[in-house]
Amino acid sequence: MAEVAYVNASRVFPGTPPVRAVDNLELSVADGEFLVLVGPSGSGKSTALRMLAGLEDVDEGAITIGGKDVTNTPPKGRDIAMVFQSYALYPHMTVAENMGFALKLRGVPKAQIREKVAEAARMLDLTKYLDRKPKALSGGQRQRVAMGRAIVREPSVFLMDEPLSNLDAKLRVETRANIAALQQRLGTTTIYVTHDQVEAMTMGHRVAVLKDGVLQQCASPRELYDRPANAFVASFIGSPAMNLKTVPLTAEGARLDGLVVPLSRAALDGAAAEGLSEVTFGVRPESLRLASADEDGMEMTVELVEELGADAYVYGSVRIGEHPERFIVRVDGRTPPAFGQQVKVTLRDADEVHLFHPETGLRLSA
Amino acid sequence: MRAFLARHWYAYAMVLPVVVVVGALVLLPLAQGLYFTFTNINEATIANPVLDRPASYEFVGLDNYVNVLTGGESYGAFWSTLGRTLIWTFGCVLAHYAIGLGLALLLNRRMRFRGLYRVLLILPWAVPPFISVFAWRYLFNSQFGIINQALGALGLPTPVWLGQSDLALFSVMVINTWLGVPFMMVTLLGGLQSIPRELYEAAEMDGASAWQRFRDITLPGLRSVSSTVVLLGVIWTFNLFHVIFLSTGQNPHTRILVTYSFERFFSGASRDYAVASTYGVLILSLLLVFVTIYRRAMRRQGEVW
Repeated sequence: MAEVAYVNASRVFPGTPPVRAVDNLELSVADGEFLVLVGPSGSGKSTALRMLAGLEDVDEGAITIGGKDVTNTPPKGRDIAMVFQSYALYPHMTVAENMGFALKLRGVPKAQIREKVAEAARMLDLTKYLDRKPKALSGGQRQRVAMGRAIVREPSVFLMDEPLSNLDAKLRVETRANIAALQQRLGTTTIYVTHDQVEAMTMGHRVAVLKDGVLQQCASPRELYDRPANAFVASFIGSPAMNLKTVPLTAEGARLDGLVVPLSRAALDGAAAEGLSEVTFGVRPESLRLASADEDGMEMTVELVEELGADAYVYGSVRIGEHPERFIVRVDGRTPPAFGQQVKVTLRDADEVHLFHPETGLRLSA
Repeated sequence: MRAFLARHWYAYAMVLPVVVVVGALVLLPLAQGLYFTFTNINEATIANPVLDRPASYEFVGLDNYVNVLTGGESYGAFWSTLGRTLIWTFGCVLAHYAIGLGLALLLNRRMRFRGLYRVLLILPWAVPPFISVFAWRYLFNSQFGIINQALGALGLPTPVWLGQSDLALFSVMVINTWLGVPFMMVTLLGGLQSIPRELYEAAEMDGASAWQRFRDITLPGLRSVSSTVVLLGVIWTFNLFHVIFLSTGQNPHTRILVTYSFERFFSGASRDYAVASTYGVLILSLLLVFVTIYRRAMRRQGEVW
């Protein structure tokens, strides 16, 4: 049990120019917290995790675990366990030997190892497979062995590097819930890396979004969804992605084709203070609806309808100024519009809009 | 039958050249050699068309095997030669493996000029063996060799390295080690690179020291490569003729089974083809037994990768 902190930590890969894979990361994780690092590939999330593991150098700044500076401590001395994307199970050892390896190295008596391995195996439903080699296991079982290897150690921090990305979709959803429940039960501080925003939203107590090695926002999933700190977070979190368009501002609000979205005073003042004539306007697909004929709305030509059963996502183009822009609208799955149809789209609620600075991408609306 | 041929003639036509070549170069001589071991064929009894002399050798049953296996001096002292052959074989393979693995581990690290080191270390393998052997003979020369000059300068004894003593066996083993290490190094380096890096990282997270990572990750990871190259190494070295023959010739202190078979076949008062063939068949049988035991042992350990 321990809290973890990155103190202005950077990892710079040599090259011309040097690559700042992780750039001045300032992040603290509370004891027992489940923190998810999420970002697109190349965002530095895995590098950040490996820095904490001790597998990657910290070039600037520091990392502390449980208040102790471990910046220059080798992995062995950090009391952490890691689950790898490839699982990295030792192929020549049985499941039980894999799980007990760390304890064996530590010189724990054999009987005690057997007991701990058996306990972890029970927890993970692996008891039947303890004598098998990894190659005789299915993907899901291997994943559980990798988890078991981490659990048996009883470390102060768990690190997980995309542990579900090699599983099929159904198993992934199942295992996702199991990992979250297990973490809850063990109460061990956990840092979890993923590129899948659904995993991030469903598992994490807090989610840290990274892009190009820079932390964009770290907040609860709700906060991240409702108040993204910038346009990148807004577009990255949520599926399908938020509609983000640069639109002209008028005295009343933001003008879209056939629809002026009234904006709050604070937001308009904020934009005026910056001297902006345009804003990046964001609205989630579920915040839009089809309008009836007598309402104001944007004229949209339907280009694609994705039917998911309960809902349908309608992709269509709307003219904003000179350019056609693509919008996604969530509609009732039972009565979706047809391909090529002209529909009118309006907001469900004028409050459910996000405004960002068109150049810096920072959030404008409160 | 005709339908079968009509359908598969193409496949048979494709394998026919190989069957003919293998038959002519391997199976036929093997059968002939096996037959010779039951006769008293030698230079005096073989058919000689130049002298217009017909073959006069006779079937002698197992006499050759009895003579050889009782270990008489005049039949090459089979058992002590076999002992020397085993020392030579396992000594060389052990040195090849140990030094090859050491160099492979060094070369598997990230460092400057790694490509250059690799090329330099493979070089002994690329040089024709007889050139290397002659170079070593100069190095080992008891009067003018650089080794003895260096030892002499240090006031140490300057032995006759390739002379009539067991030191000669040691010297030819050194030469063969020099020749055989690059192959081991290259194959083991390939084996090392096929071990996933995550395994080392996982072991490091599990708290394994460098030695424990070597013992618990590297060695098991190399097992299938090692077992293959050791098997090949043993077979090759057991039958390795040219290094010994080029460095010490017919020195009884470096005599192994194949070199004796050669001596018996091509030199001596009467070229004794029968005894030479008997040695050949015995070598083949020994290697077959070795391979069988070895494979069984490997299978019991279970191939893991």
